[in-house]
Amino acid sequence: MGVVHGQEMVLNIGPQHPATHGVLRLQVKTDGEVISEITPYLGYLHRCFEKHCENVTYEQVIPFTDRCDYLASMTMNFGYVVAVEKLMDIKVNDRVQHIRVIMAELQRIASHLLATGVFGLDLGAFTPFLHMLRDRERIIDLFEMTCGARLLYNYMWVGGLSHDLPKGFVEATLNFLDYFEPKIDEFENLLGHNKIFVERTADIGIMPAEVAINFGVTGPNLRASGVNWDLRKDDPYSIYDKFDFNVPVGQGIKGTVGDSWDRFYVRLQEIRESVKIVRQALDQLPKDGDVHQSMPKKIRPPKGSIYSRTESPRGDLGYYIESDGSDTPSRLKMRSPAFTALGVLDEIAGGWLMSDVLAILGSLDIVLGEIDR
Amino acid sequence: MSEDIQLLIDDVVAKALAGDMDPINNIEDRVTRSKAKAALVKAKRSQPKTEIKSNASENSDVKAKDTIEQVVIASLSKNFSNFLDGEQNGEWIQIKAENWFEIAKHLKENENLYFDSLQCNTGFDLEGGMLESRYNLHSMKHLHAIEIRIKVSIENPDIPSVESLWRVADWFERETYDMFGINFTGHRDLRRILLPEDWEGWPLRKNYEEQETYHGIVVPKVKEGWE
Amino acid sequence: MTVDYIFDFLTGLLGGFLGSDYLLLVSMLIPCLAIFGFITVYALIVIYAELKVSSFIQDKVGPMGQGVGLHAGKWGLLQPVADALKLLLKEDIIPSSADRPLFILAPFMIFIGAFISFVAIPFGESIIVADLNIGLFYILGVGSIAVLSLILAGWASNNKWSLYGGMRSAAQIVSYEIPAGLSLIVVIMLAGTLNLQDIIKYQEGGIFNWIIFDNPFVPIAFVVYFISALAEVNRTPFDLPESESELVAGFATEYSGMRYAFFFLSEYANMFVVSAVAAAGFLGGWQSPFAGFMSTPAWGVFWMISKTGFLIFVMIWLRWTLPRLRVDQLMNVCWKVFLPLALINIFGVAIWTVVFNS
Repeated sequence: MGVVHGQEMVLNIGPQHPATHGVLRLQVKTDGEVISEITPYLGYLHRCFEKHCENVTYEQVIPFTDRCDYLASMTMNFGYVVAVEKLMDIKVNDRVQHIRVIMAELQRIASHLLATGVFGLDLGAFTPFLHMLRDRERIIDLFEMTCGARLLYNYMWVGGLSHDLPKGFVEATLNFLDYFEPKIDEFENLLGHNKIFVERTADIGIMPAEVAINFGVTGPNLRASGVNWDLRKDDPYSIYDKFDFNVPVGQGIKGTVGDSWDRFYVRLQEIRESVKIVRQALDQLPKDGDVHQSMPKKIRPPKGSIYSRTESPRGDLGYYIESDGSDTPSRLKMRSPAFTALGVLDEIAGGWLMSDVLAILGSLDIVLGEIDR
Repeated sequence: MSEDIQLLIDDVVAKALAGDMDPINNIEDRVTRSKAKAALVKAKRSQPKTEIKSNASENSDVKAKDTIEQVVIASLSKNFSNFLDGEQNGEWIQIKAENWFEIAKHLKENENLYFDSLQCNTGFDLEGGMLESRYNLHSMKHLHAIEIRIKVSIENPDIPSVESLWRVADWFERETYDMFGINFTGHRDLRRILLPEDWEGWPLRKNYEEQETYHGIVVPKVKEGWE
Repeated sequence: MTVDYIFDFLTGLLGGFLGSDYLLLVSMLIPCLAIFGFITVYALIVIYAELKVSSFIQDKVGPMGQGVGLHAGKWGLLQPVADALKLLLKEDIIPSSADRPLFILAPFMIFIGAFISFVAIPFGESIIVADLNIGLFYILGVGSIAVLSLILAGWASNNKWSLYGGMRSAAQIVSYEIPAGLSLIVVIMLAGTLNLQDIIKYQEGGIFNWIIFDNPFVPIAFVVYFISALAEVNRTPFDLPESESELVAGFATEYSGMRYAFFFLSEYANMFVVSAVAAAGFLGGWQSPFAGFMSTPAWGVFWMISKTGFLIFVMIWLRWTLPRLRVDQLMNVCWKVFLPLALINIFGVAIWTVVFNS
């Protein structure tokens, strides 16, 4: 088929645009509907996270991590406290570990629900989004029950937690899971097997495994490309080695491995796996154990540095902490998974149509708070 | 009575030092428990500090005996001479900036090392006129990880860019440049990434001073600290 | 037709006082006002229906009142009124770099396109403003004014998103008019007339005499027409010209307040027009489904409105269920699926008519 070339036009998608998931500016070169080149401009949400961290104590960093990825605050807390605990060589008791895993996995469900819902919204399907938000709301209610906050929790502290689980939490969570599990199939049928949705996502924005690894793409996006890589399995932190769960990998059911549909489907499957983990963790949850037991009075890690990674809903969340022996970090760098996921956009989305580019952007599940920090 | 308590405290502290925290936490009386904890802290302070273990060495399965750092240095020595920069320790490899691109290529392409993913690139201000760029490399094939550090002077902060090897370094290096002013030579598109194009100074350097005004807006200087 | 009735009536009443020119003018204005009133009331109702239907589909309650004088009235009934008031009172912003005259003209033009279509819509055996002998053709023709005004809106806004929206809508509406028109040819072939009243009269005598049940090809024609009509009125899954997650708001990006409201009003008015054509052409118009039962003129209006209303409900239902197609898929569906299908239908119906009905 011959290709007609017209005059190229430079178009700014964003910073205020409904499909950029925050304030992101994509400068694209368009030839009619075809987009030939994408240049992301970041920094509209830059809040000097790393500079702030050099001026506050280790405890005070935790609320800042909340605000980076505001859709998965629990896992952001989790990654940070795991890093500091490794640096200080603190062992926390089993109850704390279990509660942390429960919270992190519930947060993963909530985050993936929003991610898949917003992906549908980017493609014009409004209803699945609201159905998913309805269920996300119930998870947030569980968090509210635990620590009072609904979005930014500041729940996991170095060496412990801010609160123990409230009365009735286990029952409420089990109730929720019983209610929620059939809903996952509903979402899959409502969105995943919708003919138009499949047409819009299958074979679109294919990310081969080598490209994904080279661009540092991690998390569900990498797994959708067929790479079986999950830090919870491959480099277990906390107590993830105790649980039995699968790592869903993109198989190209509707198209090619690593297309947008796979990225959607892997997230949906991960929700199922997270439900499994939460069930196991609730089952094994030790009855006693003080959540403040191993909390140090003053967090003053020994001199040294550490790079610690955890699996956030968006991928490998790394914290590089350099300590000079004082109670403030000398340098704290967050290796944000969405940052690298956005970096691959030009590579996989260049040459597609405008609608596809925004669909691919939606399938990568970026959070600007975490990219800009 | 108090002697009994003292004995109990000594006992649980000894156990806690051995790694078992349960006896302390099982003490019913709150006063005794806090006394025991205080004693534990005292005891810990008098102990020599334990070295932080390199998390990388645990994953090494290239050779059971050598740490991954030793393996990497041995492998590099075959191909490069005089690449190490000063004293080495077990946690990272300090190399010189000159041959970094070739070394990186070797690290990425050598079958035994095969560091196919660049996990993280961090800048660091060592103060005293030195900057440092730190690379956390990881191999998804062999599951080992190392940290590479490259020191440069603040007057001439040139480090070869590895952006064409690991494309993820594109934005990482732009961020490090943005925050520290480390100049990655050979980078195709070295611009500021998070800050505005016309920002002055390198914010994460320790001697950074905010600019007086930005586009006519006076930058407020908060003098009092955070604590 | 109706104009003549009114004119005769007025002449009988006021013939002595005013000249016949004035009376003609007045008797033309009265139906216009009636249509305008109808569109306004209908828009309020359909906006409310859209809010409520979408809410039920999305598992929420939608606009609700909490008590007397609170919020949006009982069951949120006042919500569309509040929306309309808000749009009326909003500041009217015209971008400084916009092409001012065209920018102002566009929303009126699209509304005129929708408005004059109503002239030929039969609400009952005698309730029609102008019983044109080419009624169907006329509605298809004036429906195309929408394209012109959408391009105008897209161009005059001087905004890249608007331009995209305008160009998309031009390509889309022009393309989908062809399968829509070809599907209606089936109706014309069977009824043998372009007059909507005659088409409806042809379907007299209960549900099985409706054109849609005439032969096995017509239901296909109906589906093709309905989907093409969806595309023509820019409803999801074909709402590309204003796809809010891609083009911000497409051709309406720069519009605000009352001008924006006009775009919406005409979208809803157009929905009514295409649904009414489908109801008249395929579903027997104002004919009762039970032959002679419930077929007085008043029931006729009821049947017409409820058939149209049902089709509008289906449109709303589809909108809140389906994602949006991509622009090239949209064209593929039109040219590679609907157009051949519509052509085959014409042949099929022709052969069927010759073989079985002659």
